[in-house]
Amino acid sequence: MIRYTFSLLILVLFALVAQQFIPALTGLFNSRLLLVTLVFLCASVTVRTPVMLVLAFICGFLWDAQTTLGPPGGDPEVYKYPAESLRFGYSIILYGVIGFLMQGIQPLFREGKWQFSTILTGISIFVYLIAEYLMINFVRGGFIFPRATLYQIIFTSTLTMLFSPLVFWILFTIAGRFGHEIRFEGLKKKRRRRAIA
Amino acid sequence: MRPLNLLASLLFLAGAVWALTRSERTVREIQNTYYSCLTPFLTAGSKLEVKARAFRDEVRHSKELEAELDEIRQEYDRLRQVESHARELEAENARLRRAMDFQQRTEFAATAARVIRRQPTTWWQTVEIDRGEDSGVVLHQPVVADGGLVGKVDRVGKTGFSSVILLTDEACQVSVQVEGTPEVGILSGQRGQYEGEPKLRLRFLSPKARLSPGSRVFTTGRGGLFPANLLVGTVEAVVPGPLDSEALVRPSVDFTDLSTVFLLPLQQTQ
Repeated sequence: MIRYTFSLLILVLFALVAQQFIPALTGLFNSRLLLVTLVFLCASVTVRTPVMLVLAFICGFLWDAQTTLGPPGGDPEVYKYPAESLRFGYSIILYGVIGFLMQGIQPLFREGKWQFSTILTGISIFVYLIAEYLMINFVRGGFIFPRATLYQIIFTSTLTMLFSPLVFWILFTIAGRFGHEIRFEGLKKKRRRRAIA
Repeated sequence: MRPLNLLASLLFLAGAVWALTRSERTVREIQNTYYSCLTPFLTAGSKLEVKARAFRDEVRHSKELEAELDEIRQEYDRLRQVESHARELEAENARLRRAMDFQQRTEFAATAARVIRRQPTTWWQTVEIDRGEDSGVVLHQPVVADGGLVGKVDRVGKTGFSSVILLTDEACQVSVQVEGTPEVGILSGQRGQYEGEPKLRLRFLSPKARLSPGSRVFTTGRGGLFPANLLVGTVEAVVPGPLDSEALVRPSVDFTDLSTVFLLPLQQTQ
């Protein structure tokens, strides 16, 4: 369990470095593959709640360290209405929320129905991006939700979701190597039935 | 809920509150540490990109390169003439300023920087450049390109890495004036603009602002961020309002084709 958890942390750091080299797809409304979020979501369904929360804290913390904007600067007499930015640390909460969302269908995942988790990965990223954008609207005022933004969120969620089977496969391989039991209860039932037969 | 899960959730919330209550300075220190750890990877990636570009350039057709060289030579000759003319004007300007007892302006010195990454985040319009604190880059330093104003430095890395917030972002505000009119306002980008050419929003104009499409927009130099008389864009349309008018401005810089930018010294603005 400990070795698996540490390998997840290394995987998150690796994803963070790889994320730096993944450009936005300008032809698809600047959508992109959110690798760090994807690794977190896939990992969160394979671990217990305390480990998921540790991962959520680390991912959110690092994500905010990467994306938080600086102070607007300038003379407040001239720039009277600066555009507010999201506070450092908000991503930690969002990662926690989507982590709990993923854990909601952990029983299905343990039965071997990983397809549901794949779909929920896309939904979680959609929720994450929508929440993030709504928070920007809230702190900056004036609700603006152009169609392009909706497309950006949809394409980003879909694109990231398509890569989730690959991340699950990597996680299963790591779990197998370090003897971590993700507990496929469905497989256990099958084995039991075979033994009875 | 199990006791362990409850304890973990409480610790998680405490950690989140701790992060949310960090001061601006602490956040900057965290970001500096984070980026100093990432810089080797980013530098390596940037070098790889340069090599890939060089390889792509090498395989281009030689005739195409020759034509390009001729064009560049012509452009070079033209720019030499322009430079010579500019020097004459600079000398004349200096003479006039001295004569009028104006404060002598410092010599224009811009630092060139290469754009190494475009829009690394989901929502903010930013680029990253290959200059950091070691090259004298400071926070809020104005950034320009050959077409006009690009934005300002938003985060300064220790070595060879800084982030620039573009004019097309809502958070980058510039005090501007419209050429040939007394109209002064605040220009910024617009939220959620991804299609076509981005348009800038010029706010706080007078209610009866009479602006004609095509009028050029320049920085005022007020506000302590940007020097005066930097070209920002041209007016496209005006939307009159009861309290103030707004205008849509087409930026003078092509933000899709940013490869080299110039950092203006901050002391010029003060």
